[in-house]
Amino acid sequence: MIGLRGGITVAIVLILCSALAFIGWGAEQAAQRTIAPEILAKANTVARSAADLIGRAGAVGVPFDRLEGVGDYFESLRAANPEFAQISLVSAGGAELARAGDASAFAAAPQARIPVPDPSGRRLGDVLVLVDPTAVTAQVGAVLVDVAFIGIVSLLVALELVALVVGSRGIGALMAVERRLKALGRGVLARHEGSPGAAGALVSPIDRHVGALAERHAAIRAAAEARGDATALSRLADLETRTGLGRVQAAESEAAVAVRPALFLFMLAEELTRPFLPRFAQSVAAAGGSLSPDLAASLPIVAFMAVVALCQVPFAGLSERLGRRRGFVIGAMLAAMGYALSAVSPSYALFVAARVGTAVGYALVFVSSQGHVVDFSAGAARSAALAVFVRAIMVASLCGPPIGGVIADRLGAPAAFTASAGLALVALVVAFLTLPKTAWRAGAAAGVGLSDLKDAARAPGLMALLFGCAFPAKFLFAALCFLLVPLELQRLGYSSAAIGRFQMIYPVIMVLAVPFFAAMADRFDARGGFVVAGALVSGLGAMAMVLNPSIAFIVVALVALGYGQAMSIASQSALVADTAAALGGGRAAGVLGLFRLVERSGNAAGPASAGFLMASVGFALATALIGTVAVAGAALFALSELRMKQSPRRASSAAASEGSSA
Amino acid sequence: MARTTLGLIAVFALIAAACVAFGAYFSYVTLLNAHRSVIEARFGIAAERVADVAEQAASLGIALPAQGTLTSLLDREARVEPAIRSMDLADERGIVLFSSDPARLGLAEAQDGGRGLTRPVRNDLNEVIGHVVVRYDPQILAAGAAALGDDLKVIALPALIGAGAATIVIGLLLAALLRRAARRAADPGAWPPAARAALAAAESVHREAARGFPPGKPTSGRASAAGAAPRPGESRRRA
Repeated sequence: MIGLRGGITVAIVLILCSALAFIGWGAEQAAQRTIAPEILAKANTVARSAADLIGRAGAVGVPFDRLEGVGDYFESLRAANPEFAQISLVSAGGAELARAGDASAFAAAPQARIPVPDPSGRRLGDVLVLVDPTAVTAQVGAVLVDVAFIGIVSLLVALELVALVVGSRGIGALMAVERRLKALGRGVLARHEGSPGAAGALVSPIDRHVGALAERHAAIRAAAEARGDATALSRLADLETRTGLGRVQAAESEAAVAVRPALFLFMLAEELTRPFLPRFAQSVAAAGGSLSPDLAASLPIVAFMAVVALCQVPFAGLSERLGRRRGFVIGAMLAAMGYALSAVSPSYALFVAARVGTAVGYALVFVSSQGHVVDFSAGAARSAALAVFVRAIMVASLCGPPIGGVIADRLGAPAAFTASAGLALVALVVAFLTLPKTAWRAGAAAGVGLSDLKDAARAPGLMALLFGCAFPAKFLFAALCFLLVPLELQRLGYSSAAIGRFQMIYPVIMVLAVPFFAAMADRFDARGGFVVAGALVSGLGAMAMVLNPSIAFIVVALVALGYGQAMSIASQSALVADTAAALGGGRAAGVLGLFRLVERSGNAAGPASAGFLMASVGFALATALIGTVAVAGAALFALSELRMKQSPRRASSAAASEGSSA
Repeated sequence: MARTTLGLIAVFALIAAACVAFGAYFSYVTLLNAHRSVIEARFGIAAERVADVAEQAASLGIALPAQGTLTSLLDREARVEPAIRSMDLADERGIVLFSSDPARLGLAEAQDGGRGLTRPVRNDLNEVIGHVVVRYDPQILAAGAAALGDDLKVIALPALIGAGAATIVIGLLLAALLRRAARRAADPGAWPPAARAALAAAESVHREAARGFPPGKPTSGRASAAGAAPRPGESRRRA
């Protein structure tokens, strides 16, 4: 039985896909009606300009039929305007005097024909520009790809909102009915705990039957016990195991994943800023600063990442003392204030300070959310809950940049920051309503201390993994996605919305490929190999930029980064978990704390190095050099792994560690 | 219960409609950007040509303010495209040096609020020494935006209403199915096959346990639970 929850989710997916496909069709029609005529208008402009130039040659006495270099000139026009299949100069008698390109394959190509007059106004001939119909289709197709991306974002946002509603307490009665029907569908005759609320009338007959059966079962069991009938007791126990008879089924605990909607909204707030942040930082700095544009763009990102990295470890204890809900609420409030201040910052220094404030809030929210999941889950359920946690972050990183880009393009970056502040406040309210209240714990554990980190650093093979793979992975990711790609695309004239869509490539691949590679790493028992292979793929993808710094190679680098990180990230977390488990006791927390600290330091160091390198050696070489760091780190880790073969680690599941890789 | 269900369906319908509206608006913005870039590419041709000429003259050692022939070039290029209002050549500080519109000479570009398309003019050291600024009729963009908006409204409104209505219909259908399944579950004879098999197994084990099992009788509850066929009449009731 699919149930109301599952059914409505499937229905919304189908309905939205159909509705968005319909809108896509409408967009295609609209693009044909508006973009195709504009391309023809451009052909007219080019033809008029060429005709004017040729007319002036006539005015200075060059005979129309003896013009030199017209073909070369037309070729240069075609090179600058690839949507033109052919440009010709034809005489009034119809003879072709010069030509570039060949449109004979396009029978009904749209064309612009502009006469070339002599000084007296007499028509000497025509300049003819034939538009390549496939170029028009390609331009409309590119628009449709963008619209399809928007469709994916809409769908993901809808599913997160559905999850938000489904996770609310208001529909407990419906869930009570569904739980009982699903149990019966599976042949489970256990009683259900918790009040059915408004659904009492519907579920009480079921509960009555199951309750009567359980009472009879208990009576028969008591009788069998009284007479010492071992065979009957064994059969009754077997029956209990198979049907759950006599047992009480706990209400489905979703406490661990209750943080998902609030976390999604909060992360979405930060992700909105990705596509326009470098450009905005440059514009604020340019208002009266002496910083170079690349440094001005990278500094707020570096400050943000550094603060998040440094706060991770101390905030673990703070969040425990405050309580997870209070920690989330305070963090979201700080972040909202940071976004609001960013929107109105009159100076660059205040803008950087606002980003630092946002980072403090971000770190507190992240740590509190992670702590909430860990507090309310255990064993295999913890991995599943952490996987939900990671997916919320990944989906936010997928949806945020294109939305933020469009808001910044249409309404300006301050409006986009204001939207982020609003979203952080909504996340605050959702967290307040959905997370369980926890008491202030003044004496709670102080988290991981410096001595724990020092102890953890002595774990065999850990430093090679952290500095060979974890650090370079985040270093490359943050440098490429947060600074190098946005700045280069901005330099090439792309809008914030377009930059946001480029930034979707990495999370799309991660969402789709991480579970696959995690399962593969487990299946082949080759986590170390996957970590090395992933680092090589992502590093080489970035290094390829020196071959041809172009849009195609930017896409190659982003795709390679996505696949490389998808290959390595879950295995990397599993290897860290192995090391933590091998150490045991309190030192495990130190290993995980050290892992987070080193990883997040990569996030901070990436944009800092990228800003410096971009200003010094340019985009292509900076990207390649940062890719080299990932490749060199992989080589270092591979060497260390070869030495470690003598004392293999305990094996954790990469698939299970998928959830701990955020 | 009914109120909860209806409220839930209404919220889901709103979510569906809001996401369609969101998709439609973002599609509109995407089309608008595509439209603007095609238009700007059209006007950019003229700007590129003027920038090329200015750069060639600069590479021959002629400073930008001394390139007096640029006025006629700007004038000619501006006349090529009727939608161009003016074409300026500004120095690196944004002061208009030459223009197709004589009234603009000496103005600062930054103080001019009109829409303009800009192309940089660079010297041989790749330093920006000026800008070509093309001012075109904003009505072109506005007309395109209005046409695109109208086109998408025609598509988006039915899609939005359809998505909301379809969600309500499917939600009501699912809620009715759930209610029907819950009502049927009041009678154990109408329970799903797995539950009936479990019930039959339980009754069988209970009966035998109440009587007392003969010693050494093999346990067969699993087989009976897995393979128990519905009693005659149950399948009819289920149908």
